[in-house]
Amino acid sequence: MPGYIKIEALRMLRNKRYVIFVVAFPVAFYLLSVNLYGGGTDAAGASVVLMVSMSAYGALAASMMSTVVPWAQERQSGWLRQLQVTPLTNRTIIVTKLVTSLLLVLPSILLVCAAAVLAQGVWLTPARWAGLILVMWAGAVPFAALGLTVGSLLPPDAAQPVAMIGTFGLAILGGLWYPVDLMPSALKAVAHVMPSFHYTDMGQSIVAGHGVPPSDALTVGAWAVALGVVAVAAHRRATVRG
Amino acid sequence: MNAIAFTDVSKSYGNVLAVDGLDLAVEAGRTVALLGPNGAGKSTSINMLLGLLRPTHGRIEVLGTSPDEAVARGEVGAMMQSGELIPELTVRELVDFVRRLYPRPLGLDEILQMADLTGLVKRRAGKLSGGQAQRVRFALSIAGAPKLLVLDEPTAAMDVESRLRFWAGMRAYAAGGRTVLFATHYLEEADENSDRVVVVARGRVVADGTAAQIKAGAGGQTVRFTLDGQAAAGLDALPGVTAVEVEEGTATLRTADPDATVAALYRGTSLRVRDLRITGAALEDAFLALTQES
Ligand SMILES: Nc1ncnc2c1ncn2[C@@H]1O[C@H](COP(=O)(O)OP(=O)(O)O)[C@@H](O)[C@H]1O
Ligand SMILES: [Mg+2]
Repeated sequence: MPGYIKIEALRMLRNKRYVIFVVAFPVAFYLLSVNLYGGGTDAAGASVVLMVSMSAYGALAASMMSTVVPWAQERQSGWLRQLQVTPLTNRTIIVTKLVTSLLLVLPSILLVCAAAVLAQGVWLTPARWAGLILVMWAGAVPFAALGLTVGSLLPPDAAQPVAMIGTFGLAILGGLWYPVDLMPSALKAVAHVMPSFHYTDMGQSIVAGHGVPPSDALTVGAWAVALGVVAVAAHRRATVRG
Repeated sequence: MNAIAFTDVSKSYGNVLAVDGLDLAVEAGRTVALLGPNGAGKSTSINMLLGLLRPTHGRIEVLGTSPDEAVARGEVGAMMQSGELIPELTVRELVDFVRRLYPRPLGLDEILQMADLTGLVKRRAGKLSGGQAQRVRFALSIAGAPKLLVLDEPTAAMDVESRLRFWAGMRAYAAGGRTVLFATHYLEEADENSDRVVVVARGRVVADGTAAQIKAGAGGQTVRFTLDGQAAAGLDALPGVTAVEVEEGTATLRTADPDATVAALYRGTSLRVRDLRITGAALEDAFLALTQES
């Protein structure tokens, strides 16, 4: 499996779309908006709040992008069948996809944090840094599971727009680009059940020194389990031998 | 032991019967061609052999076990009819990744040599020509040193030169006592690269044997010579002969075994044989005859 994870990670790191949308875009967007909002490095300051929401956006985009289209594509292109005639099992394939997707979430989180530190002088206690990175990382499981589900159910040309809409929808409804508090109340109600909303909220709570709110952790965990089950079922269906 | 055994295997897709009661046993160590026109059921049979498809009916054994188990043990390698590589990865990365999935793989250099890829190791798969990509897919199929190698129309998209080198690589691989099954609709490929040809049409085996036997079996070859005024009696009793015709002083014998017929003609009769000619039904004719029947 380490060899499989390695090539899966390599192929994404060499993919221009991944590098632009997932690695460069969140950092650029962070630097741009932080200037618009005028910085501020205390816990509630724009530099810190935006650092969390842009890391969250980067992680969300990374987990969707590294799963949906590559997975849909390799089912259609025959690469999956090539793997199915090796000793690799279907279970190893899906676990590898999930693990790789979570690995590929890290560059976006780390780069946005690095930009915040280097360009804005943001500084947190070591415990908060560790908590933030860990939570942003592990909290991306529901998105990777969602990505694998979509990639299992749709052919690549349909999967591509669905991945985009899904990513943007989760970003907007999660308040990653625009505070949820400013939304109309109906939309706000929807936002409050979204995994992306609770995901960023965990990050914001940690940087503000409040730790992880249990309700957030529970909601994200529930989404992770639910989407994980759906992803496994969809993956089974996609790899079933007729 | 048989490397492959199909017992009364059928597969239907909805109401299309793609494979219809196929029986086929392949001894370990042989190189067998599955020859048939498009739509004959070659790919369906191969995909069932690889565990990618389930038969609707019948049983398939691979190396004494089920297809899934043989694949899981790393005893099978395959090149499917179509399939793309991961464009961002290099030839070396792809081949090395796949070989490491197997318990006792070939060495990387050995694989690259057999698949004629030594000059392309650093090339990304997305930048390969069609023929080069086929060679990489061949490399992936042999990477794990499988006992059974299965190739579904492997030379599609290759030019003449690549084809020759491809078959040389396949023979080098088969020479290690391994079993190879390849599908093709090219008669010459079947003839030149296998020691047994199984002709399939409409999901059934319609002929099975060496290329020579198949030519003969399809009503075969003719032995012709000038008889002049000599008596034609007894010619129909010569070994292999299925029909005799005499016309304008020329005898035409249809035979399933021209070697035996000619030998007996010289040794077993007192005829003066002149202008002897043997014309082969080409494998092509045999193939057309077999696959268009009924
Ligand atoms: N997935 C499928 N769905 C429906 N029919 C199929 C499918 N795959 C193959 N067939 C049909 O089954 C028959 C055998 O096809 P195939 O095994 O691909 O033949 P070959 O490889 O010899 O060209 C053909 O009539 C083909 O149209
Ligand atoms: Mg075919």
